[in-house]
Amino acid sequence: MRKLFLPFMAIAATLFITGCSSDDDTVIPVDPDPDPVNNVLTGNIAADMTLTSDVIWELSGRVAVTSGTTLTIEPGTIIKALPGTGANASALIIARGAKIEANGTAASPIIFTSIADNIQLGQTAGSNLNENDRGLWGGLIVLGNARASLSGDATENQIEGIPASDTNGLYGGNDDADDSGTLNYISIRHGGALIGEGNEINGLTLGAVGNGTTISNIEVVANVDDGVEWFGGSVNCSNIVVWAQGDDGLDIDEAYSGTITNSAVILGNISDHALEIDGPAGSLEGKFTIDKLTIIGNLNTEGGEYADYRDNAMGTTKNVLALNFKSDSDVELDNNAVAQNFLDGDLVFENWILDRDNPNQVFLEGTADGEVQIIVNPDFPTRAANWTATGNNGGADLNVFSWTFTSLKGGL
Amino acid sequence: MKKFFALLILCTSVQLFAQQGTLTGNVIDGDFNDALAFANVFVKDASIGTTSDFEGGYTLELDEGTYTIVYSFVGYQTKEVSEVKIVAGQELRIDVTLNPSAGQLDEIIIKTTARKNSESAVLSFQKNSVNLLDGLSLESIKKTGASNIAAAVKNVPGVSIQGGKFVYVRGLGDRYTKSTLNGMDIPGLDPDRNTLQLDLFPTKILENIVVVKSATADQPADFTGGVVDIVTRSIPSSAEYSVNLGVAYNPDFHFNSNYLTQDRSATDVLGFDNGLRNNPIPDAQEIPFPQQNGEVVSILTRRFEENLAAQRETSLMDVNFSATAGNRYDIGDNSLGFFASLAYRNETSYFDEYIDGQIYRKDETDKSNFDLLLDRGQNGEVGNNNVLVSGLIGLTFKSEKSKYSFNALHIQNGETQSSIFRQVNGIISSNEVKKDNLIYTQRSVSNASITGLHTLLEDGNLELEWKFSPSFATIYDKDFRVTPFRVITDDITGEESFVIEPSESGDAGRFWRDLEEYTLPGRVDLSLDHKLFGFDAESKIGAAYTLKHRTFDVVRYSFPFLNFQSSVLNGNPDLLLLDQNIYDPETNSGVYVRRDSGDSDSFESEMIITAGYVSESFKLKNWMRLVLGVRFEKFDLTYTGERQDGSSFRNAKILDKSDFFPSANLIFDLNEDESSKIRASYSRTTARPSFKEASLAEIFDPISSNTFIGNLDLQPTYIDNFDLRYELYGAEGDFIAFSGFYKSFDDPIELSFIRRAYGQFTPLNLGDAQVIGGEFELRKRLDFIRGLENIRLVANVSIIDSKQEYSDDEREGRLDNLREGETLDDTRQLQGQSPYLLNAGFTFDSEKSTWQGGIFYNVQGKTLQIVGAGDIADVYTLPFHNVKLNLSKTFGNKQNSTLSLSFDNLLDDDIESVYQSFGTEDQLYSKWNPGQRISLGYSINF
Repeated sequence: MRKLFLPFMAIAATLFITGCSSDDDTVIPVDPDPDPVNNVLTGNIAADMTLTSDVIWELSGRVAVTSGTTLTIEPGTIIKALPGTGANASALIIARGAKIEANGTAASPIIFTSIADNIQLGQTAGSNLNENDRGLWGGLIVLGNARASLSGDATENQIEGIPASDTNGLYGGNDDADDSGTLNYISIRHGGALIGEGNEINGLTLGAVGNGTTISNIEVVANVDDGVEWFGGSVNCSNIVVWAQGDDGLDIDEAYSGTITNSAVILGNISDHALEIDGPAGSLEGKFTIDKLTIIGNLNTEGGEYADYRDNAMGTTKNVLALNFKSDSDVELDNNAVAQNFLDGDLVFENWILDRDNPNQVFLEGTADGEVQIIVNPDFPTRAANWTATGNNGGADLNVFSWTFTSLKGGL
Repeated sequence: MKKFFALLILCTSVQLFAQQGTLTGNVIDGDFNDALAFANVFVKDASIGTTSDFEGGYTLELDEGTYTIVYSFVGYQTKEVSEVKIVAGQELRIDVTLNPSAGQLDEIIIKTTARKNSESAVLSFQKNSVNLLDGLSLESIKKTGASNIAAAVKNVPGVSIQGGKFVYVRGLGDRYTKSTLNGMDIPGLDPDRNTLQLDLFPTKILENIVVVKSATADQPADFTGGVVDIVTRSIPSSAEYSVNLGVAYNPDFHFNSNYLTQDRSATDVLGFDNGLRNNPIPDAQEIPFPQQNGEVVSILTRRFEENLAAQRETSLMDVNFSATAGNRYDIGDNSLGFFASLAYRNETSYFDEYIDGQIYRKDETDKSNFDLLLDRGQNGEVGNNNVLVSGLIGLTFKSEKSKYSFNALHIQNGETQSSIFRQVNGIISSNEVKKDNLIYTQRSVSNASITGLHTLLEDGNLELEWKFSPSFATIYDKDFRVTPFRVITDDITGEESFVIEPSESGDAGRFWRDLEEYTLPGRVDLSLDHKLFGFDAESKIGAAYTLKHRTFDVVRYSFPFLNFQSSVLNGNPDLLLLDQNIYDPETNSGVYVRRDSGDSDSFESEMIITAGYVSESFKLKNWMRLVLGVRFEKFDLTYTGERQDGSSFRNAKILDKSDFFPSANLIFDLNEDESSKIRASYSRTTARPSFKEASLAEIFDPISSNTFIGNLDLQPTYIDNFDLRYELYGAEGDFIAFSGFYKSFDDPIELSFIRRAYGQFTPLNLGDAQVIGGEFELRKRLDFIRGLENIRLVANVSIIDSKQEYSDDEREGRLDNLREGETLDDTRQLQGQSPYLLNAGFTFDSEKSTWQGGIFYNVQGKTLQIVGAGDIADVYTLPFHNVKLNLSKTFGNKQNSTLSLSFDNLLDDDIESVYQSFGTEDQLYSKWNPGQRISLGYSINF
């Protein structure tokens, strides 16, 4: 009897003992923020507001400028985002119907960076971070009422990275002339958040932004994911530079129909494609135009392709200069649907200059499982000879980027 | 305490040396399925006898021999049971049901033999119950060889088990099926489910399982499919000790040198982690970026255990051990009894080809393309070890008019899973990924319950019962580790190289998830026997209170790096956190830790259910009983949590509902001895949102990459239930039943995908749903065929049809993705519902019960496992045809040793789920082979 009970008691007793605490799990005090700021942005901004350039602003968590509200940012303003990653990343959302008036100048750009950046008022760059310091906060998200080609022809969608419970994350509508304000001389540094597959916060996310909006002189440096990503919309953009992004430089989805003029992508040592272009997700079709583009490759990165045209992509890519890519990098048409768009004249290439021999050979027709190549007699690389040439000149006018961190730190 | 043990030992020895045998059992009132107190039990033509106690229980000590026993009570038919064979030192149990003599003046004596009266206690409980219910006794569970309740309960008609763990009654899972322990609420053990994980409960603690399918007012209102009540062992009538040992061998799983495991703590074998897997960083610790404070983040990163890779080892076989002890002592007119059990189980499995979580999509742009396109292929090896330890102690004190019981139960479970998967992505991303996953989940349930039963009036016609049964449950997901490498295959050499590329494969990550829940349920019931319309009637009144409190916390970290070439790791996850690879402020390079979780991943929630009821059970005619009742329940849900956008609730009342739940049960006796009945019943019940559903939570699941979003606007579902059943109880446990049921749901809750936000899900009140079904059950001895006298056919079939209307998003998502020529039905079947369930088997019982055995077949029809979302097709679980053989032999001079042998999955079937879409062949969602298992067990009773 007793013999039966004793082991029972002993084991029962051990069952209730939880793991003992090890002594190395104490809290280590972290130096107080060396650069305290007293102007914190948090929650929703539902009344017009101006961020002045006389203080450093702090972005805490997800901050949304709600519909009907205008956020004005003075030239020379510095906004530092608090840490936070994944779904909890600090990010500034300009919701549908809200406006951002951020009109910087070449001498006094508006800078979004991380709290870890030691940049001070009056400076255009700190000294402690470089193009490999990524993912220290989320990004800038601008959402509008223009059309986007959405799955199932829905008229609105929730932007990546924001849970559906936050309706400030909705984009899409019927007003291609929609005006979300002005972004001019903006530098977005060291951000980006990965939440899950196909669910991330890019440097600058533009969801269905209309062509009443002005977007020019934009820099995205050291973002974890894509530099700039367009989800539909019609806004025209100019003078965009992306440096050392973790994934793709310029990423187009859902039938973006605007023009991107004079832009540059400089790959870093973990970058993937310079361009990743997808087509419509619904029946609405729209064609992008990329005109005057310089892309600079990287010999260290595992990926590092020129461009990938996927998923029924439609539009024109012209006046391109591509330098310093790996010998096996390519411009790929992903599958038959994309190749058919090329044959139909919906996907157009003009005037590509590459710093290599046989530049037409980088143009490849890929196929999905079970497909055979459909660009024949002549095949795609042969046809590419019509728009490719070997050389070192062309593409974008890089002088317009002299104001940027990229230029200052030798990226260009 | 010492004195107590001395007393126990003394009493035990007295018992052991007695040269007598014991006759024991219960006398049951055929009218109410109730104890018949003060009934006479005596040996015919002798002066030996006793009376049943207030619980109907009786015990007689008799010399070895064969007797005829007479059971009688005033106003009731007398029953004579002959051929009662008493063997020295053994206990024989005979339960007898006495029916009222219904005003007839002549004394009626019903004669039967011990053998013919062998109908199990569970079947007689079933027969006399006012509810429509099905039971499963410990004996029949033993015959199937099931080692846990999940495996056993699927032998009940209309019951199916999902994922080997979760019970569905009549095709209704989760929120529509309730699991209780001795009639009281216990906490669920899964953050995503409402029901209990039944595989955690070993059969050793069981007396029986009862599945109630129709509601009465004394039952909680929050069930629709059924209540699965786990009844723990009762106190034996005399000394009873047992020891059981068992081993099981699966040729695919065991002694396999490819088995995958991970660094283990010394106490893993006892079902808990000793702290090896503790989160090394306190909540209050701020984790700086290396750019802010490289020294601190470097120290913090070094605190993490280095083991991230699944390790090869040779697997061991399954072992189990259990011991039970029980006895009863007379202390004057009172008696004291105890029962204790301790059980241990350690099981290991290894799958060399485990396909799971594959994603196929429909072509979104080309509706004439019927093919399902592979977006994610996922195949790997999985090693799994599961340790289960349980202990139960029950004490009962019984006086002439009162009984007090105390029960304590603790279940401890530790599950280790180590796997290596290859993932091939095709559409959303385009790459190949290798993932090492290390998982440890530690679960526990502790329950202590105290119950009192009192007869209050002189004649014992008023009975008071009270119960208080607090429980505490925990699930700690400790240190889930995932290390994803992108695999790059050289086109020419075919050589593979591995890099961690966050935008392709994600960062290396680990997380901790804690769920703690306590429940405080209590109830008081009063029942009064009286006369109404000249017949016996029973009035019941009662009140109940249940508080459930849950806290849920998630901590997630990822391990990005700075200025570091991940290719130096060469695909070995164990190198990632080596000292030389951790961030070094001097060189500004290396791997560092980052906290990814936030306040919106956690919540705290509380439910309070206050209930009261009245019911009346009476007869209008001798052959017609009516049970009418109404229950009132007040349901309150309060919630504390925060959203990502910063909005928060602090103890906010989310739901406050007060409802009446009427019920009516009608029982028609078709013949004198009440062996043939028709039952009809109506009841209104409810299904409430779970803790997580009625919340603000925005929980990202790193395993599925889905985000769950709580819905504060959820309302409870109300259900009207109709049941009809014909039952025929034959001799010696033969039984036939036909049942039909219909259920109509107002605004059922289902987890729905959000069309505008890919990969995000939220619970919604959907359009109405209906479930209609039929069940057939047969238990028949084959003694009408010569040579098959000892064989019994046991079979049951359920056919269930359910119709669920779509949410707007779901309908539109389906319409968008219809293929050419495909049309959309107005409704679909309920998630998790099987269109049919079938159990069939033969059991064998030799003349003296020295040989027992059975062969069983179990299958459940094609079941909607995952509701398709947009371009993702529906996933169905295909039928798994399981044939099982079980054999046991009793031997020894007192027939007190048993050797048992069982074979599982004789057909060597695969467990398989597939995507199904219009006009194309099925594509795999998951597939693995559970292997064939041979188990050998030995048990001895003394």
